[in-house]
Amino acid sequence: MISARTLRDPTMLRIGSVVAVLVLWEVLGRLDPIVASYPTAIVAAFVELAFVDNTLWPAFATTLQGLVVGFAISSVLGVAIGFAMGRIRLVDLILDPYVSALYATPRIALVPLLVLWVGIDFELRVTIVVLSSIFPIIINTYIGAKSVDRELLDTGRAFAANGWQMLTTVVVPASIPYLFAGLRIGVARALVGIIVAEMTAAVTGTGQLIIQYGRFFQTDKLFVPVIILGLFSIVLAEVVYFLQRRATPWANVERIR
Amino acid sequence: MLDIQHVSKSFGRVAQPVLDDFSLTAAEGEFVSLIGPSGCGKTTLLRIVAGLLPATSGDVTVAGVPSVGPSRDKAVVFQHFNLFPWRTTLANAAYGLEIQNVPKQEREERAMRWLRMLGLEKYAHHYPGEISGGMRQRVGIARALAIEPKLLLMDEPFGALDALTREHLQGELQKIAEQTSLTILFVTHSIDEAVYLSDRIVVMGTHPGRIIREFAVDLRRPRYDYNFRAEPEYAQIRGEIWGMLERELAEDEERSDAAEDTTPMETPA
Ligand SMILES: Nc1ncnc2c1ncn2[C@@H]1O[C@H](COP(=O)(O)OP(=O)(O)OP(=O)(O)O)[C@@H](O)[C@H]1O
Ligand SMILES: [Mg+2]
Repeated sequence: MISARTLRDPTMLRIGSVVAVLVLWEVLGRLDPIVASYPTAIVAAFVELAFVDNTLWPAFATTLQGLVVGFAISSVLGVAIGFAMGRIRLVDLILDPYVSALYATPRIALVPLLVLWVGIDFELRVTIVVLSSIFPIIINTYIGAKSVDRELLDTGRAFAANGWQMLTTVVVPASIPYLFAGLRIGVARALVGIIVAEMTAAVTGTGQLIIQYGRFFQTDKLFVPVIILGLFSIVLAEVVYFLQRRATPWANVERIR
Repeated sequence: MLDIQHVSKSFGRVAQPVLDDFSLTAAEGEFVSLIGPSGCGKTTLLRIVAGLLPATSGDVTVAGVPSVGPSRDKAVVFQHFNLFPWRTTLANAAYGLEIQNVPKQEREERAMRWLRMLGLEKYAHHYPGEISGGMRQRVGIARALAIEPKLLLMDEPFGALDALTREHLQGELQKIAEQTSLTILFVTHSIDEAVYLSDRIVVMGTHPGRIIREFAVDLRRPRYDYNFRAEPEYAQIRGEIWGMLERELAEDEERSDAAEDTTPMETPA
């Protein structure tokens, strides 16, 4: 029976649910290890890949490098383009068709073309990360810049703020929640983009690791990078969330009203 | 000090102007209130004077200079406070000075002086979300006063506050007006508030927005330390303005009924 106390403190319930699934997986997985593998085998595979034959971390580092460089580029560029489009009508008119079209295009469809242009290495990773993540960042920043409270814009103007001051003292701070929403979507898209690109085109990286283990029916090993990526995406989301709280101390205060 | 000459304002295709040939002057140090029915164009007039909205025709001059845009001679206090939620009390109060590129230390000292005067020094590092409505409007007033304007424009600044806080801030505003040579243009819905604060009350009519009549208020100042409501002049002005606004509302209804009869023909394509 689930008592009222367990419901108030859900930690036990969560742990219980995870344990139950792991046990079930262990039992069922042993019936046919090629199809599903099972938790203890995956742990053993992890120890082997991570500490014995040292294949996991180099692959992961390769992916991480492309991700960090690509995401840095697309954050800076995406935010700048988003604000420029949101504040300058001419820029909006010129860029909007491209942003709208590329936002809707599945980025993966571009991989074969990108291979021709930039090869299959670092440049491919960076390019695909930028293409995957920049559009949600542009679009969210743009929406943020467009939805600034008119009364606050009036307030800035009433104090004779010039165009640049309006941007830095009103538009940017008011858009921060939107900007971070864009970054959060962007980082998730970037991870998907780089892994799929590595699976389809590259010869190294975490995505390629998954492909190789799959090809040789090493299901236990295949689960290792998959689980690492899952945990990594949670860490990324937390990092963005942490940065957002740091950037918006006013949003954390208790409201009186 | 403030000179509004023949200002008219129409919005877009709407035929009838919101403001029609509106003229008003205010001397230095004068406290002038605008009172009138909702929609008569008080906010529109204030925004034109502030330089936030261009007039369709007419001129506004502040301290001898044509007022065509926002400037540091003028400051606005808004009905809904309009504090920047991401700035602390101090940073909000120092905003106008920051826009004028006053160095950080100097602008914080100057803003702090007004915060102290308005009893907010303990809340200097609080965000707007952490202080009450009355405090927020005091920050709004400090922000406007910190740039040391010649003209202070206030659009129903106390309209969103409870009666007690409102009365308290009215007293504080009066003290500030006494101590400075500020010219104040004050929009309100409250006859009582207008009589309490003003040297002159301008009663506006609607459709189009225009001046119906002006009243000088000669009640002894300061008014916060005696019961000005017991003076015969208070009752008299109050009664007159009431009657005037009631008549205006009735006439406006008749006018709009008459207009309705002809609307089908006037509707623009
Ligand atoms: N941007 C605008 N476009 C079109 N019409 C407008 C605009 N701003 C105001 N108006 C119209 O102008 C008239 C006067 O508006 P204004 O806000 O100045 O009235 P007000 O006297 O301040 O009213 P209240 O006492 O309710 O605040 C209204 O009929 C309003 O609909
Ligand atoms: Mg108004």
